[in-house]
Amino acid sequence: MSAVNRSSLLRRVAVFIVVFSSIVARGQDILQHQLDGTEQGKSLAVFFEELEKSSKVRVYFITEWIEPISFQRSYAGMTLEDALSDLMNGTDLSFIAMYPDALVIIKDPTQALLRKRAIEEAVKQNQRVDTYRFGDRGKARKGRLIISGQVTGSRSLDPIPRVNIQVSDTERGTTTDESGKYVLSLEPGVHVLTFSSIEYETKVIDLLAYEDGVIDFIMEESGVMLDEVVIHGNFGREVTTGKVGLTRLSMVEVKRAPALLGEVDLVKQVQTLPGVTTAGEAAAGFNVRGGSVDQNLILYDDMPSFNSSHVLGFFSAFNSEAIKDVSFYKGGVPAEYGGRTSSVLDIRSRDGDFRKWNGNVGIGLATSNFMINGPIKKDTTSVAVSFRTTYSDWLVRSIETEYADLSKSSVSFYDATMKLTHLFNSRTRLSVTGYSSNDAMRLVGDSTYQWNNLQFSAKLSHQFTEKLNSEFVAGVGSYGYSVENPDYLTASKLSFRINTILAKAAFNYPLDRHNLNFGLQMLHYRFSPGTLTPGSPASNAESITLEKQYSIENSLYVGDELTVNDRILIEGGIRLPVFISLGPATVKLYDPQSPLEVSNVSDSLNFGTAQPIETYVGIEPRLSFRWKATESSSIKFGYNRMYQYLNLVTNTTAVTPVDIWLPSGYYIKPQRADQVSIGYFTDLRSGKYAVSVEAFYKALDNIVDFKDGAKLVLNPQIETDLLQGKGTAYGVEMSITKNTGRLTGNVNYTYSRSFRQVAGPTSSESVNSGNQYPSNFDQPHIANLAWKYSLSRRLFFTGNFTYHTGRPVSIPLSAFQFENNTIAYFSGRNQHRIPDYHRLDLALIIEGHKKRKKKGEGSWVISVYNVYGRNNPYTVFFKSSGAGIPQPYQLSIIGSPLPSISYNYRF
Amino acid sequence: MAASNFSRKFSKWWILIFTLLDSCVDRIEFDIPPAQNQLVVEGMISDDPGPYTVRISRALDLEADSVVISPVKQAKVKLLDDEGRSENFSETSPGVYVTGGLIRGKVGNRYHIWLETQEGEQFESQPDAIRSVGPVENIRFEFEARSITENYGPVRADVFNVYMDANAGAGTDGEKFVRWKFTGTYEVLSYPERHFIWALGFTLPDPYPCSGYDFDEAGNLVSMGPCTCCSCWAHHYESQPSLSDGQQVVNNQYYNIKVGEVPITSATFYNKYQVEVAQMSLSRTAFEFFKLVRAQKEGAGSLFQPPSGEIKGNISPLNNSKPIVGLFYATSINRKSVYIQRSDVPYNIPPIAEIRYPCTWYENSTNVKPSNWE
Repeated sequence: MSAVNRSSLLRRVAVFIVVFSSIVARGQDILQHQLDGTEQGKSLAVFFEELEKSSKVRVYFITEWIEPISFQRSYAGMTLEDALSDLMNGTDLSFIAMYPDALVIIKDPTQALLRKRAIEEAVKQNQRVDTYRFGDRGKARKGRLIISGQVTGSRSLDPIPRVNIQVSDTERGTTTDESGKYVLSLEPGVHVLTFSSIEYETKVIDLLAYEDGVIDFIMEESGVMLDEVVIHGNFGREVTTGKVGLTRLSMVEVKRAPALLGEVDLVKQVQTLPGVTTAGEAAAGFNVRGGSVDQNLILYDDMPSFNSSHVLGFFSAFNSEAIKDVSFYKGGVPAEYGGRTSSVLDIRSRDGDFRKWNGNVGIGLATSNFMINGPIKKDTTSVAVSFRTTYSDWLVRSIETEYADLSKSSVSFYDATMKLTHLFNSRTRLSVTGYSSNDAMRLVGDSTYQWNNLQFSAKLSHQFTEKLNSEFVAGVGSYGYSVENPDYLTASKLSFRINTILAKAAFNYPLDRHNLNFGLQMLHYRFSPGTLTPGSPASNAESITLEKQYSIENSLYVGDELTVNDRILIEGGIRLPVFISLGPATVKLYDPQSPLEVSNVSDSLNFGTAQPIETYVGIEPRLSFRWKATESSSIKFGYNRMYQYLNLVTNTTAVTPVDIWLPSGYYIKPQRADQVSIGYFTDLRSGKYAVSVEAFYKALDNIVDFKDGAKLVLNPQIETDLLQGKGTAYGVEMSITKNTGRLTGNVNYTYSRSFRQVAGPTSSESVNSGNQYPSNFDQPHIANLAWKYSLSRRLFFTGNFTYHTGRPVSIPLSAFQFENNTIAYFSGRNQHRIPDYHRLDLALIIEGHKKRKKKGEGSWVISVYNVYGRNNPYTVFFKSSGAGIPQPYQLSIIGSPLPSISYNYRF
Repeated sequence: MAASNFSRKFSKWWILIFTLLDSCVDRIEFDIPPAQNQLVVEGMISDDPGPYTVRISRALDLEADSVVISPVKQAKVKLLDDEGRSENFSETSPGVYVTGGLIRGKVGNRYHIWLETQEGEQFESQPDAIRSVGPVENIRFEFEARSITENYGPVRADVFNVYMDANAGAGTDGEKFVRWKFTGTYEVLSYPERHFIWALGFTLPDPYPCSGYDFDEAGNLVSMGPCTCCSCWAHHYESQPSLSDGQQVVNNQYYNIKVGEVPITSATFYNKYQVEVAQMSLSRTAFEFFKLVRAQKEGAGSLFQPPSGEIKGNISPLNNSKPIVGLFYATSINRKSVYIQRSDVPYNIPPIAEIRYPCTWYENSTNVKPSNWE
């Protein structure tokens, strides 16, 4: 039976239900109908049909409700009422008579309504509705039954974790575990199950079950969409999602958002989430809940990434076409993640299609990208390759500027990902990812800046038993930059590099109401904190090589998700990180009575190869709790402690190429963050709107700040220029999302503060005399508005508006003369603010035909960035006036509306 | 050094990107208190014979186009030591207060000033001790070929790097805070007698009177007396204080400290160049003050300029809450000087430019021969 037919029948039934429930049924005649024994052996449906034929009686029923019911014995002499009562005993069916000659079979009316609504909604949204039957009414057993199965992706044949499963007629739900498996405990009877996950098409299952059953199925990647409406982010599912602190990002939506120069940017989309902001226009990275950029753990196929952007923040370093799935945690971080104190951005790259070859070509104003993926051996081995590069040289060279002859300048970058996946069998899967990104920029006769990032990782997923799943990852990564000065007499090359080796084992073991995760992670770092080499034989540049730094970060973790009951979910865990800074190294010792200053060196300690210099052991408890207060609302609580052993040390507010990652060690203690968050999440109008309010408080210890006037590059005794102190951040995040309809979108507002305090024994070891001061990322008011209006199924008008308070800066207040020098009198650190930031972007998206079978689909994105041409400050700097007095200036990078157009062809 | 170099070069790169994306630079106005309310006090006492000077002025507004000091006149200023002696300063020119020579700085003693403005606002500095300081032992210089790239190509910008060795001295409490003050002096020549004016398309000689030239009765230009503005001595002052915090002390010695750079031009080496290095002891407070000054000067001009710290100094209000910035510090000074000769430059320097103005045209110059010029 087609879904449409069924729904019209249902509508008829539903109308009656409504009518009947408000009228006291008086017609008793039909119920007094005497049975004569001929009914024996007939199904109830057949009996009703015959009854309708032989009398004026009309019976309203849905065949499948009563399908399994038949007259097993003779009911001769009994009234219809008694016979039906007997037959329907123990089911959720009942009957009601109206007028003398109408009989209506009804299910639990609430359930029927909910089911009807779910099916109708699914049909309206062109979702596929599949029907499953298990057992029959006659053999129905008493009590609850179990429906279980596994969900896999259509192309990657990869189990899909965290699929939301909504049991529509009960408002109950669950999610699939890490290996795509789920278990549902249901009453026997009819249910509508809705399976939804970001990046996949929602699947609806109309289930009739009288015994346990297994439903394994494949979800279609939403690249070939048929649906008209895709939910933005997962705001609408916050209530039922298993993970408390998790936000999943939809790459489909990321691609539809307006973007700078039309370049799809994952990081920029992260910046629109509640509680997330950025230091300024096009600044690299993002700041979460008053934290710094380096406090975000960015994982690309399990490898930590030290650089998330190209061209210093203009573009994301990750090609959106190569991304399968993005998870973001800003609170309630599970025990499997650690090493950073603010947030986790877990990016998984796309697996190749195991069935057929397909790909994508994109052309924009500044870059173009190419992606192809498909089976090397069908259903066994697949490959996905993507490449993105810029050709903005022509743009650069066409510029006329008074500063330099740009005809020989260049700005270039590329990134490339290749992923091979092999299925040994249904239990074992191996994937190997290689990622490379490179940026190079040169001004004529001037320095060349180069950044590169190279990583390889291999992941073996294996299912030991039905319950025990495992993942083993090994990887290597290398991130570094160099600055080359070509001038013959002073030629030099400055370079910095971090090499990482990762080994990791993760296990998942679901057991009844528990879902256990445990594992071990090992990271080895080698830092080359700075090398300066002369670049030509005549160069007068000094040769400087700072000592390499070695360290290992090993962690054991165990976590459990305990589903106490339908309402309560508890996630708990503990993570034990051990960080060891290793030799070879020479550690300078300072006079203990004096501040750490180069002039106070008293002695030095020598450490041999692999000899531990300093060991830090941490205990990180994690706890989150979700309580479904009502069917459509929940309260979530999260607590986590996290340690961070690597610090990005910088004394500018924007990330610059010569920033340095510094590991904890003899002098630098690991950062520690404790965060509590509590939130209320609710769905209104059956999921049409999702509203949330979340508050957090964070306490940080051993945050790294710098002394006034610190020198950080090529400083062999960098500890003398750094300070450690405390930090606090707190705030409230509010968000309203409209999930359905032609207009969908999200508006969110965050009030939050972020402070630091560095109080050392002397004034040079303190900041602002040891008083609390706003951190660089203290932006009290942050508001975002993002929307998508579907003009048609292929045409979208999207936009976003961002507002945040200007970040704090230190500025000169006056100037004075001292010993023939004009000196500026600066305010204390971060005592003033730059002007507020706000910006509106708009985009028109024209997507191709959405036919599943059709080959080739083109889409256009026409966008305007900074529509009303706001001069948002990127950075504040000082230019000396004629009198040598520094005056504050703001630099706006994009001071006018910036239109762009890009084209994507998917094949 | 490397860092600021790189960030400066990096700034250039940014210019490119900014141009590309239609960036712009605007003044930002912040809501800040008026500068005139803020007093500025500058002064020191050393173990050199006095008189010692204190200057009191009002802070400069950020908008000021030129450095015009607004002196604070008719203040009462008193110098006090920890032996109970005191001496009043007297105002010798507006805002400049000088001692009469009663007190002479002595190593080991602590000094501070007390002052009261006409309006009755009183301020006081924290007592600062004169610590002993070691001698400057050696000054060396080394030629370095350099060029800077202009739009039309590379231009020579060679220098002499000046290094010194010094004894760190005894210090106090194990802490050694030393400042090295570099002063360069060079003789310059100008041609004020060749000055002329344009009139009706002709050039007419118009010598400056200080050149000694004038027209005689016959209308001829003749030398009538000595030129008092043809020979001058110009000074290079350090653009930022040079301090001992980044230096290692080995056996109580500072070795090979770079204290300055001497640019090689036809003016600086017209004759010879005198390098004077003064090694000065400082207290921690004064040292922190100069450190912040240095940090500010180093960071200047970079787009990624790190914020400079609040420079407070050691003077605070007594009976009011007026903002004040200033330092009255005590120091012991040891000096040494050497000459770099014209012949030390490894190539021939072109003759000095024909400047047809009095020689005080050169920056920081005077026609009074310095007492230590040989």
